Amino acid sequence: MIAVFKRELKSYFLTPLGYTFMGLFLLIAGFFFSYGNLLPRSPRYAQFFGNILFIYLIAVPLLTMRLLSDERRLKTDQLLLTSPIKVSGIVLGKYLAAFSVFLITLAVTVMYAVLVGIHGDLAVAETIGAYLGFVLLGACFISVGTFISAVTENQVTSAFFTFFALLFIWLIDLVRQIVPMDLTSGLIFAAVAVVAITVYFYMNTRNLVVAAAALLIGAGAVTATFFLRQEFFLGIMSDVLDWLSLLARFGSFSLGILEFSTVVYYVSFTTVFLYLTVQVIEKRRWA
Amino acid sequence: MVEVRGITKRYGPHVAVNDVGFSIGKGEIVGFLGPNGAGKSTTMNILTGYLSTTEGEVTIDGMPILEYPEDIKRKLGYLPENPPLYVDMTVTEYLKFVAQIKGVAKKTVPSRIAEVLETVKITDVRKRLIKNLSKGYKQRVGLAQALIGDPEILIFDEPTSGLDPKQIIEIRDLIRKLGENHTVILSSHILHEVSAICRRVMIMNLGRIVADGNPDTLAIQHSPTGQLIVTVLGEGEKARATLADVAGVTRVTDRATEETGAVEFVLDTDGDVRPKVFEAMSSAKLTLIQMRVNTMSLEELFLQLTSGEQEVPA
Ligand SMILES: Nc1ncnc2c1ncn2[C@@H]1O[C@H](COP(=O)(O)OP(=O)(O)OP(=O)(O)O)[C@@H](O)[C@H]1O
Ligand SMILES: [Mg+2]
Repeated sequence: MIAVFKRELKSYFLTPLGYTFMGLFLLIAGFFFSYGNLLPRSPRYAQFFGNILFIYLIAVPLLTMRLLSDERRLKTDQLLLTSPIKVSGIVLGKYLAAFSVFLITLAVTVMYAVLVGIHGDLAVAETIGAYLGFVLLGACFISVGTFISAVTENQVTSAFFTFFALLFIWLIDLVRQIVPMDLTSGLIFAAVAVVAITVYFYMNTRNLVVAAAALLIGAGAVTATFFLRQEFFLGIMSDVLDWLSLLARFGSFSLGILEFSTVVYYVSFTTVFLYLTVQVIEKRRWA
Repeated sequence: MVEVRGITKRYGPHVAVNDVGFSIGKGEIVGFLGPNGAGKSTTMNILTGYLSTTEGEVTIDGMPILEYPEDIKRKLGYLPENPPLYVDMTVTEYLKFVAQIKGVAKKTVPSRIAEVLETVKITDVRKRLIKNLSKGYKQRVGLAQALIGDPEILIFDEPTSGLDPKQIIEIRDLIRKLGENHTVILSSHILHEVSAICRRVMIMNLGRIVADGNPDTLAIQHSPTGQLIVTVLGEGEKARATLADVAGVTRVTDRATEETGAVEFVLDTDGDVRPKVFEAMSSAKLTLIQMRVNTMSLEELFLQLTSGEQEVPA
């Protein structure tokens, strides 16, 4: 894992990619710091993070687009996957390299906080909270990008899909408010989910028996739940979307409130996506 | 050492490898020979654990590869069809990285790199970026990468493809030398390459192994049974009549010969009639100067086994 991490980190700076990411990030951050804090002489630094959240939409796809897709395109995955290292080690090494580039870049912005601290009254707790929240949020987004780069073979597609995935996460809170909450649509949603899982199983195993079994179990579970706990289907869509709602949870951080449950949530979200990444790579051998 | 039992790999309805089984002993040098799309690369990818099988199993030293991936991968060095190079690194940086992921002990890494650079003769370009190397040198870096973990088994997928004749000869010599203390499995389209390096050849076609054996004797084993070429001194008519009378000879055909004063026949036979032919000749007082089983060359065998059928589109 350490070898993969080191190589990846180095490769960010052997190609223009690392510098492009850093440059873009710092340009946007600098712009918003100037207009948000510097020019109005505002010491409210934590707000700065709220303003630059959208940076992720552009910067994360750039950071993760070739992370795993390029290995496949250049066939270097044949070296990694035939070496005595675990797939989880490969994924973690790569993820941590991308995450480190992000951290290094973010470290530069600490300078802004210091600047505010020198010339004004910096709300230290708030600032630390905002940094922590921002880093955790970044960790989540980078894990999504890592996952998408594992399912694509081309960096442009990878960046494109990552952008839209992040955009979707962005808009989730809006979507949540308009999804129907009634029983029928809940049931339809559950049925679609079961079918999707069945298709996924079939694509992976090419085995009709396994797919049929998955379909039966899923249908059975939905039916059983319907008779035992009908209320489960009320608002199920909104509940699922809530699980993906990363931004709604960010608010408390910039108020300097450190909610343990939110930290756990962000860490689990990241873990799930990294786990899925490992699974995708492991399963591809069976295709 | 390497045991392959009934492996099949399907891509949807397309069968890339079809019920292939073989076993390779320690120290053997084996060549997979086959036209494009025969399934050589797929088989090698399965052997190295890069791909899984749809059916069947690979074991190495008795360990199934899917259950002991790390133990097995430590024993394997693999040069895939496209050398897996990180072209933005220098040769040494790259080999250092490979040494680390292959689990080479930290303090032996520099000496191991120096050794391998020497083996594949790329010491002089060790500080160059891989992307600036010629195709032949890139291929050598690929070989170095396979060797660095000091594996017992080396698997090379078309190690000489796209190289100039001088490089081809050098790489072949290198592989032959490696074969002295490794088990080597390689693939090629080129018949004389396999027969020059390998003491065993497996001919693949359309996902199956259609012949397996020593390149010198394989063709003989696959030759049409029951044709004998006989050269007799002197009278052609008498010889022909005598031969036609031998029990088991179904047909006698004339054949051109360069031997002066001799005639030559091709006998279609039923079973091994060589002793009877010999006796018949001597009792008819005819001088038999040569008798041999009609064989094809390995080239002919290869063409026969792989011709006619095109690659099945996926
Ligand atoms: N990922 C894939 N999806 C679908 N079909 C595939 C895939 N990989 C290989 N095949 C098919 O499997 C068959 C065997 O391919 P393979 O690469 O093993 O042949 P090969 O003997 O190595 O050929 P070559 O000499 O051209 O390298 C081919 O018909 C190929 O089209
Ligand atoms: Mg091939």
